[in-house]
Amino acid sequence: MKQAQLDIELCGRLADACGPVLGLAVPENGLPVTAMLDDLASAYPALGEALRRIRIRACINETIVANDAMVRPGDRVALFPPVSGG
Amino acid sequence: MQVELAQSPFDPTLRLAAFSAALEDEGAVVSFTGRARGRGADGAAVSSLVLECYRGVTLQSMKAIAADAQSRFAITASIVIHRAGPIAPGEAIVFVATAARHRRAAFEAADYLMDRLKTEAVFWKREEHDGTSTWIEPTARDREDAQRWRDKVNDNAGN
Repeated sequence: MKQAQLDIELCGRLADACGPVLGLAVPENGLPVTAMLDDLASAYPALGEALRRIRIRACINETIVANDAMVRPGDRVALFPPVSGG
Repeated sequence: MQVELAQSPFDPTLRLAAFSAALEDEGAVVSFTGRARGRGADGAAVSSLVLECYRGVTLQSMKAIAADAQSRFAITASIVIHRAGPIAPGEAIVFVATAARHRRAAFEAADYLMDRLKTEAVFWKREEHDGTSTWIEPTARDREDAQRWRDKVNDNAGN
């Protein structure tokens, strides 16, 4: 299956393990958020631990989405750990 | 209702003056300024407080909180300004002001805005000190303060 590169922005403490932006190869026709998180954990084991430990919300194109939402190449994707408030 | 995410320092006194100048016949104005402290909860010196945000989503979260305050209380105007990025001790982090015909609504709306901003606004906050940094979570007290308003809704629904 053809793949495309996706940049994923990591917010707050999620950036501690591997930096604030990580690249991930994703299928050209997209994948659900849960599968993206699994692939990310496999590609970046140091981040994988944080992804398992912390409750993550995915944000696609400036909207917080459910874990079954589809991520497609070209989307602006970010992962949010729990917010701290202002 | 005015909501701003500020990337650089602002002067709360000037913003309060502008807010008040634009009012009409309101009898009450309440404002609150939250300032960065120079010491953390453990007493260690803090060189700066850093508030990370995700601009569009952060602004949406602030607007949703401000809209809830506007619909919940009998206020006629409100302003919320929140800093993002590095903030030096003594600088304003957050400023809210509310105006109403009578004082109770203005006090309560400002209190409500702050309780929800402190726990729900989309920020990730860390203190920097001596080359290290510590992520800050809402305290149990912050969560209890925010919970008060949900309890009030439930009380009202039950009566």
